Amino acid sequence: MTVTQSTPTGLRNRVAVIGTGAIGQDLVSKVHRSPVLDCALVVGRNPDSAGLAHAARLGYPTSAGGIDAVLAADQPFDVLLDATSAAAHVEHWRLLADTPTLLVDLTPSKIGQMVVPTVTGTARSTGRDVSLISCGGQASIPVAHALAERFAVRYLEVVSTVASTIAGRATRLNLDEYVATTQHALTTFTDVAETKAILNISPAVPPATFRTAVHAVIPGADPDAIRSVVDSVAARVREFAPGYRVIACAVTGERVVVSVEVIADSDVLPHYAGNLDIINSAAILVAEQHAARLSAAGTGVRS
Amino acid sequence: MTGVAHDAVAHDAVARDVVVHDPTLRDGQHAVRHQLGVAALRGYAEAADAAGVPVVEVGHGNGLGASSMQVGRAAVSDDLMLATVREALRRSKMGVFMLPGWGTSADLRKAIAHGADVIRIGVHCTEPSLAERHLGFLAEQGADGHCVLMMSHMATAAQLAEHAATAVGYGARAVGLMDSAGNFLPQDVSDRIGAIAAAVDVPVIFHGHNNLGMAVANSVAAAQAGATIIDGCARGFGAGAGNTQLEVLVPVLERTGFRTGIDLYGLLDAADFAERELMPAPPVTDTVSIVSGLAGVFSGFKHQVLDASRRSGVDPRDVFFELGRRQAIAGQEDLIVDVVAELGQVAS
Repeated sequence: MTVTQSTPTGLRNRVAVIGTGAIGQDLVSKVHRSPVLDCALVVGRNPDSAGLAHAARLGYPTSAGGIDAVLAADQPFDVLLDATSAAAHVEHWRLLADTPTLLVDLTPSKIGQMVVPTVTGTARSTGRDVSLISCGGQASIPVAHALAERFAVRYLEVVSTVASTIAGRATRLNLDEYVATTQHALTTFTDVAETKAILNISPAVPPATFRTAVHAVIPGADPDAIRSVVDSVAARVREFAPGYRVIACAVTGERVVVSVEVIADSDVLPHYAGNLDIINSAAILVAEQHAARLSAAGTGVRS
Repeated sequence: MTGVAHDAVAHDAVARDVVVHDPTLRDGQHAVRHQLGVAALRGYAEAADAAGVPVVEVGHGNGLGASSMQVGRAAVSDDLMLATVREALRRSKMGVFMLPGWGTSADLRKAIAHGADVIRIGVHCTEPSLAERHLGFLAEQGADGHCVLMMSHMATAAQLAEHAATAVGYGARAVGLMDSAGNFLPQDVSDRIGAIAAAVDVPVIFHGHNNLGMAVANSVAAAQAGATIIDGCARGFGAGAGNTQLEVLVPVLERTGFRTGIDLYGLLDAADFAERELMPAPPVTDTVSIVSGLAGVFSGFKHQVLDASRRSGVDPRDVFFELGRRQAIAGQEDLIVDVVAELGQVAS
């Protein structure tokens, strides 16, 4: 078990959030709820954005100055949660590489150290750029990794469906990076040579709840053994993303299909936006555990 | 032109040109679970080229990079499909198709390197912004990038016109509709194609399916309403009840007053080749295809619905109607497992 909660008293991480779309807004909300994180700045590019207004309503400092506002801060942030785009994140990392700030990347830029909490834990071993891969990656890799650990998996594929209303422009422009980054992470965490990632955007009304189907080829697959592994991994993911559940686990010959759904546990997101919730929940866990490490080391910012 | 009697148009010296696109080797793949082999690809491409079909499209049924368990793994790699057809085509252009989120810019680059002339980006009809990046990329490359709005029965004429104009703004050099579920009647097509033709100044595309037996009539309605690129497949080869039957479409368009430039006997020979070498049997409008058309569900779901229903003893017609109720879009085949499981529980 790698997911643990630690709540040091008196030490709160100074967190900045960049990106004011639905992901950014939910991040601000989740930071607001966190006992160990302190939202020190929310940054966007459009002074009239709903995201900046939301942050201001919660009483947090805001800026429409983009990454320059982060660089211009009086003291460095402990954590920067980056909810912009893959190309922007590459630039953000370049600009912040020499600062002590931990970058938590919610874009599919593929440059940081990949973290899937139930698989890798949240500790960083190298670098200060933590990649959360993609929503489909966060939903599927716990299952894919558990299957690959227990069974001889020959092929892996994940298909995610996201509601159109919560797929913002950056998501739409980053589909290529989404596919490449999710596929790369699947291969890395499972050692299965051939993997594939697919993303559907659904306009259904009412909106479709975020779901991810994991397809696997497992010769000699035993349905009961597979179901037991899948249920156990889902319980672990629920420790930080409570809306995660298995909705189908079908075995036909050597073909295995596991579908998971995530219902958002959020003050600002609609219930169907589980794609944003699961990656944001992982980001908050990374930031909170970073706070715990800073606390243990006697560094960090006193509030 | 609309409202003009057929005979008057048929003998009109200023017959309008229609460019026929032939996705037999792409959309037809759905009917054979994406298992077309190299000899079939080469043979049909040569026959279509000999007939003077302007564009021959090739690939996995869901396009570049789409070989998958979700929709079916292809027998032949994209590279080999593209190389084979490119070599077989002398006069005809080679077309490819790609769905963002399934294929990527890397696949587009590869297709261009293989000599693809016409590159279609498919998006669900209400989501043109999914094509923004790829249409922009194709425009930068100087490629002939088209955009098709799929499952177009799920939006109104006004919405489709707006989304088509958006796609043109991203750089699409042609834009149009796929009746992916075979749900339209001719008037539906006239309204929608007319609205698009009025909203954009690029060629307008129509791609029909035959679930309700309307594919040729719908295609003629599209041409009369202003579409100048019409799709057809040999023997109607395609998912479910199949696509617009190419060798019927072309002479009917000619008799209606449109010029295709395609040689009739060559076309009939290509269709005979297709029936002999590509398909176990030509598509028919069977029970499941009718229901899929009425339910407004993509015909490509047919095999998986039948497989899953058979295993669970659920009526596949119920599965199609439930998928329609859930507004499943092309690519959401994973929903079939859920729906069959749910209906199975209700039944038992």
